[in-house]
Amino acid sequence: MFELLWHGIEGMMALQYLVPLALGTLVGVVGGALPGVTITMTIIIVLPFTFGLDPLQGLAAMTGVYVGGSAGGLVTATLLGIPGTPSSVATTFDGFPMARKGEPGRAMWLGVWGSFFGGMLGGVFLIFATGPLAAFALEFGPWEFFSLFILALSMVAGLVGDSLLKGLLSGALGLVVTVMGNDPILGAPRLTLGIEFLEGGIPFLPVLIGVFAFAQIMGDVEHMGGAGRAAAALDRTLSLAVSHAKVIMEILRRPFLLLWTSFVGVVIGVLPAIGGSAANMMAYDQAKKLSRHPERFGTGTPEGIVASESANNANVGGSLVTIMAFGIPGDAVTAVMLGALTIHGIQSGPLFISQHPKIAYGIFAAYLLAHPIMVLIMALGARWMLRVVSVPRSALFPVVLVLCTVGAYALGNAMSTVYVLLIFGLGGYGMVKAGIPLAPFILGVILGDQIETNLVRAVMTDADPWLFFTRPISGVLLAASVGSVVLALWQQRRHRRRAQAGAGEGADF
Amino acid sequence: MIGRDGVAGLAVAAASLALFWLTLGLERNPLVPVGPGFYPRLVLGITAGLGLWLAAQDLWARRRAQPAPPAAAARLNYALVAASFGVFFAYTLALPTLGFRIATFAFVAALNALLDPPRRPAQWARVALLALGATLAAWLVFEHYLLVLLPRGRWTDF
Repeated sequence: MFELLWHGIEGMMALQYLVPLALGTLVGVVGGALPGVTITMTIIIVLPFTFGLDPLQGLAAMTGVYVGGSAGGLVTATLLGIPGTPSSVATTFDGFPMARKGEPGRAMWLGVWGSFFGGMLGGVFLIFATGPLAAFALEFGPWEFFSLFILALSMVAGLVGDSLLKGLLSGALGLVVTVMGNDPILGAPRLTLGIEFLEGGIPFLPVLIGVFAFAQIMGDVEHMGGAGRAAAALDRTLSLAVSHAKVIMEILRRPFLLLWTSFVGVVIGVLPAIGGSAANMMAYDQAKKLSRHPERFGTGTPEGIVASESANNANVGGSLVTIMAFGIPGDAVTAVMLGALTIHGIQSGPLFISQHPKIAYGIFAAYLLAHPIMVLIMALGARWMLRVVSVPRSALFPVVLVLCTVGAYALGNAMSTVYVLLIFGLGGYGMVKAGIPLAPFILGVILGDQIETNLVRAVMTDADPWLFFTRPISGVLLAASVGSVVLALWQQRRHRRRAQAGAGEGADF
Repeated sequence: MIGRDGVAGLAVAAASLALFWLTLGLERNPLVPVGPGFYPRLVLGITAGLGLWLAAQDLWARRRAQPAPPAAAARLNYALVAASFGVFFAYTLALPTLGFRIATFAFVAALNALLDPPRRPAQWARVALLALGATLAAWLVFEHYLLVLLPRGRWTDF
């Protein structure tokens, strides 16, 4: 394994891979720093640029975007009090107060080095856990895979959004998208509505791009009304100079905090479709609960910054484990990476690491190298990035939509995929307005074919449906699915009761 | 009175049931005894059920809820959203007819001007410059460097 990893690092140091990795990291950091541009949108923008590259070059660029984007949000979070991405929301709680107290450099670099160390710890998990988990997944038959995918869907449906019912409906709608077109077993046409294009099924990347890009852009457009410029109060005289040794020691003096919050990040990353936005909040909450001085949180304490940033970068490692070992995207970013793999004819899943060791270890290497590159970019360009933040959204959005269109068009060199983009863009925006979460929908679109294939294979092998429950792993996975739904119901009831109690208390005053 | 969730639930249920009805015509295959319609029926049945459940939940919640005083709704610019979708729709129509370069120039300029209306000549010049720059950059990078053949216009052959 170490030999393969070393070869991977050596290969990634070659210019043909290092350049896309560095550019991807740079774009990720800038995209992450831009409020209103998430990592998902950044990777969607980068996707069409990877079509002409070899698979590993493209994946190196995307890994760079993922790592850079997870850290980039901290720049504006600490210096402007505006989280660049949802995964850096908790960084603002202490980062901005610390910067306002006259220590902007310390605030930013605690975040950067926290991201670095958290990311590297996530990398250790990625490298050591992917192989054994993939080997474990090789024991799976169609029953286990079906149950695993159902578990992923039910967890996502239960954990995102406020309503379990809407989460389940969203996942089911994603599955509906995949039943249109030829069936995956025999290729028999079904539900094509007489449209020739639908015979091949609805390609998932334009769906994903449309749903996420339009939901986000139109969500921002709702709040615009002639003044589309980002009004960021930036003090151009602020100094970011800091003693790096001091900042690093400040982090390493808290080994338990770093290890625990990175662990939280990794675990959240492994769970499908939850992502960095939850990881940073949960890690912040954990750090506060475990702190001897919880009252200092929110006033500019270093623990808050380190917890949030180490967790959101460790989360990347966890997400990559899920996609590489099981073929299940950990979040929307890895869903795009999965799409990029599919475009190049590579199937991710348990066999991925053994069938494509060069690519698998190349991804590990790209992940490890992206972190020092990210630190270098921050050192060279943090001040410059603050100027980029003032790019008006009215200028940014048309360009982003052009790149989304090119990305969709280039998938099949046909306008049909652009129409899919538009239709699902409208649909995605409609779902957001109806309060239906997008993550279960996307997971349904991605897993739909595999759920069907494994279900039909299982039924064809043995028509006894009880096998789904009596085969040990499958049974445990299905029980966990039921457990996740019950847990989500319990959480919602508790939340509702607390809200009612809060309203009641409020009425007394 | 039915609410937003109720409408969404009923729409989903109606669409799912319509597709479910279409699956009834699918023929079975001797190689796959469950047939190509088995899984779609399962998924569409579940989706229709969830849609109806959402609609019923909405109705139930509305019956039980006390009439609340009108809340101060956030002012959202839906007209701008609709216009932005309209501009993008026009772009998708223009791409195959006018070609990538003309359509993209017009789209970037139109959406930029829509989102931040220019008033002075210098602002109009900035809009034109952004549209030209974005179009040229995208065309050069994708056609010349990444070898993606971007759409040519039926009317313009450009």
